[in-house]
Amino acid sequence: MRSRTLLAPVVALAGAALLAGCAMGGGQPAGEVVLDPDAKLEGEITVWSWDVAATALDRLGDEFEAAHPGTTVNVVDVGYDNAYDKLSVGLQAGSGLPDVVTIETDRAPGYINEFPAGLVDLDPVLGDDEADFDPFKWQAQSDADGALKVAPWDSGTVGLFYRTDYFEEAGIDPASIATWDDLVAAGEVIKAKTGHTLLSLDVATGGGFQMLLQQQGQGLFDENGDITVNSPEAVEALTLLQTLNEKGLLKNVKGWDGRVTSAKDGDSAVTPEAVWWIGTLLGDAPELSGTYGVTELPAFEEGGVRTSNSGGSGLSVPAQAKNPQLAAAFVAFALADADNQVSMMQNEGLFPSYLPALQADYFAEPQEYFGGQPVYELFAEQTANIPAITFTTDNAEASDIVANAVVAAVLNGADPQQTLDDAAQQIATATDREIAE
Amino acid sequence: MTATSALSSVDPARRGGPDGREPREALARRTAFARGILRAPVYLLLAVASVLSVLPFLWMVIASTHQTSELFGTPLPVLPGGELWVNLARLQESVNFSQVMLNSLAIAVIYTVFSSIVSVMAGYGLATYRFRGRGVLLGVVLVTMMIPMQVLLVPLFQMMASAGWIDSYQAVILPFLANAFGIFLMRQAFLDFPLTLIEAARIDGAGELRTFYRIVLPVARPQIAALVIYTFISQWNSFIWPLLMLNTEDKYTVPVALNTMIGMSRVDYSGLMLGSLLATLPLMLLFLVFQKQFVSGLLGGAVKG
Amino acid sequence: MTAPTFATGERGAEGATARRGRAGRPDAPPRRPRALGRRLQRPGAWFALPAAALLALFFAYPLVTSLWQSFFATSGGVSTWVGLEQYARLFEDPLIGKSLVNAGIILVVQVPLMIGLALGLAYLLNQSWLRFRSGFRLLTFLPAVTTLVAYAVVFRVMLSTDGGAVNQVLGLFGAQPIDWLNNEWWARVAVIAAITWRWTGYNMVIILAGLQSIPGELYEAARIDGAGRWQIFTRIVIPQLRPVLIFTTVTSTIGALQLFDENYILTEGGPNDATLTPVLYLYKVGFRQFDFGYASAIAWLLVVLTAVIAFIQFRLMREKP
Repeated sequence: MRSRTLLAPVVALAGAALLAGCAMGGGQPAGEVVLDPDAKLEGEITVWSWDVAATALDRLGDEFEAAHPGTTVNVVDVGYDNAYDKLSVGLQAGSGLPDVVTIETDRAPGYINEFPAGLVDLDPVLGDDEADFDPFKWQAQSDADGALKVAPWDSGTVGLFYRTDYFEEAGIDPASIATWDDLVAAGEVIKAKTGHTLLSLDVATGGGFQMLLQQQGQGLFDENGDITVNSPEAVEALTLLQTLNEKGLLKNVKGWDGRVTSAKDGDSAVTPEAVWWIGTLLGDAPELSGTYGVTELPAFEEGGVRTSNSGGSGLSVPAQAKNPQLAAAFVAFALADADNQVSMMQNEGLFPSYLPALQADYFAEPQEYFGGQPVYELFAEQTANIPAITFTTDNAEASDIVANAVVAAVLNGADPQQTLDDAAQQIATATDREIAE
Repeated sequence: MTATSALSSVDPARRGGPDGREPREALARRTAFARGILRAPVYLLLAVASVLSVLPFLWMVIASTHQTSELFGTPLPVLPGGELWVNLARLQESVNFSQVMLNSLAIAVIYTVFSSIVSVMAGYGLATYRFRGRGVLLGVVLVTMMIPMQVLLVPLFQMMASAGWIDSYQAVILPFLANAFGIFLMRQAFLDFPLTLIEAARIDGAGELRTFYRIVLPVARPQIAALVIYTFISQWNSFIWPLLMLNTEDKYTVPVALNTMIGMSRVDYSGLMLGSLLATLPLMLLFLVFQKQFVSGLLGGAVKG
Repeated sequence: MTAPTFATGERGAEGATARRGRAGRPDAPPRRPRALGRRLQRPGAWFALPAAALLALFFAYPLVTSLWQSFFATSGGVSTWVGLEQYARLFEDPLIGKSLVNAGIILVVQVPLMIGLALGLAYLLNQSWLRFRSGFRLLTFLPAVTTLVAYAVVFRVMLSTDGGAVNQVLGLFGAQPIDWLNNEWWARVAVIAAITWRWTGYNMVIILAGLQSIPGELYEAARIDGAGRWQIFTRIVIPQLRPVLIFTTVTSTIGALQLFDENYILTEGGPNDATLTPVLYLYKVGFRQFDFGYASAIAWLLVVLTAVIAFIQFRLMREKP
């Protein structure tokens, strides 16, 4: 038939496309990249980052170029959040990624575990500095064999932000609060005397449950990869959230803008959040200057850990990088250097996870916004105390299931133990993992 | 009777539209009062629909004239503020807004021209002719619409990477030139195309392309206008594919550039709102220009009520 | 490409003239054209060629790859052939069921609501006596031109529980504030309202364009026969709009089954997965859990489901796909 000959070019094109596709192969780049710490540095690298992080790297890039003639550092702001779509597709496709990418601590384990050959082992360049970094971040951003895949950058050390005016009005000394029970009791007084709730949380996304879990040295899985979301510690954390809601101390807000709005409105007396929340307050709530103080997170037991982690990020070199040597050298220059880390704190508000940097005088300076309290000192002291926890390939899936359990218990009043047992069972079914005893 | 004379014999009064005259004006005047009563609710209804549609834009106007820090908290501002120029300057400085607008315009115009041509031709071919592979092609078009784009991203990305097209505009434009929705829209549009017109043209000895160009296209004008509007908007607001393809800030399109204003611990809402608002201006203009075609299709007869 | 098309076109035209004596009275309502017969194969193929070539070039490989991928499971960077296991998993996964139920609710409620609204709006905006027609058309079309990011922010602000514009207006009528995005049913209502807001104007424009190509003679003829307003609407307008209504219904159905944007930015699928849609789930599986094999299986399940529903719609609206 004549029409068949007419459609022939179409078929040929389709065939060509298919052949091209097969030839591309999938996934991982061929040889493994092994860094040589003494390699000569030359050429060009491209760095993906976002927001103030990109600003910081751009600034340090210029200094790096000056210190190493013949090198060029291009920094591209790829936007936050959706940058992960770019990263995921690039890793999956095995091409299209730059020399350095930014990955947050919460997201790092997923990429490290699912793309074992996708990111370069940074140990040859940074291994000697391990003792100088926040141990939790180092562990969370290394693979199961201990190879560092994402270099720790800014830290998500958590403290308790509180409204000095509300505490004063209620006649409560923030220093007297050592445990969550103390805080709940104080919250009831504050509510009675000032009418304000204790905390504003986004319950639908888990309402800080994992932060409370990590404070007790636990993740969603233990070091054997068994499910721990129904452990006694988890039940305690969820019961705390439920109690807060039952006593009317919790204000449920939606999304990022909901949280900022609630802070500006002064709905609640405290905000348990990471050090980067300071940047949010300074930028979006300048009028609240002088009304905030910071203290350590209340412990679950007297004498227990008084911090946790929320957010923070790191830098990584994809195995497909065109110039991995220079990339790794730039990462080390930016992160494993006290002066550069301090400069990023001062200029862009990125709180270092590089411990030597925390010794700098800057951290002891009084902060006007917090009524002259040297708040950074507190975070600097607590950074090394963040408990290390285990991440697995199934963290993303488990997080979704746990968030639903939090909604069920906190908003719908379900029994925490029962809810978490169900969640553990769901995770077990979905991931083929055992529930820890 | 030739095709052209058949067409020109259409009574201009039947075209309707803003300048189309009502026939039988006397009758119209007699029942004007009764009609007024009938029409009032229609105006009310349309007014409500318009207000509902516009409200969010008013909020965007308010948001883009305030500082971001004024946009949180209760109560929210209800009147425009005085920060427009400050926000505009920051928008320009932080994402090079004029440049990305030009990028978006260039991409959307090129895409719209070529994609519309492909859609109109394919839709006409599928609706009017029977040919081998027609069923297969229609099936592929439908499956392309039905499969979630997310699972096609990685293989498409691989193709672009192996062609060396990452960070180029052809990679943004080419893969989606055959727009399944557009093809389907045009096929449906031509299904009811009055065959008598085509036949008249054939009797006159016009070839297929000539018939298509001279007879079919003019009559399908309103539908093609709808296609152009749809195609332009879909490219203009397209986000995930340009985000994956473009790696240089000066090459970004508007949505990709605006996305960089959402940070980790700060979001520049006022800049975002201003950028989004400005980004809708070309679309409004496009709509105003092309919706004029809605009343000038040669057979177009508005309802005379 | 031009020359051969013209050549075959001429011959085709003769063929068509010879065969088509049944065109009927020139003033008869134009009918859906049957295909023009065998001798017109070539022009049809030529018209469709650019689209066919582009689709083959850019979609054959991705489509086949996604199908191929659905037979593999990936864990820790290692892919293994698992046959149909990913498809078997679909039936045991409670989230698949839940997301399909959510999509089903939206499909059943939102699609008829929106098509009805769009049809009504288009009909009114097509009246020649209507003043400010362009203005009304532009205003009701505006939602379709918003960028996603602005749309997200605006809706979250308007729907916020305290002081959100929607609750304030409801408060004027004495209603209690509604926790729009944190209550399972209200979150669904919010999503449906948001989609309807965004897409009604878009469908209105397509229907409006369809209304414009209804020949004026049809109205005249009906009026002479003494048909009333409603009869004209049901007997003339609706049947004439059939292909356009099929388009809007089928694409809106596809849109409902592929709903992603609204749920991703407004509720992230919450609370308690009440607004989790199949594609949002697919995105989480593929891009957060990196299980692209399972994500592809979900995608093909959706293709099959959508195709079945679309086929039924084609049938119900009496058109052979």
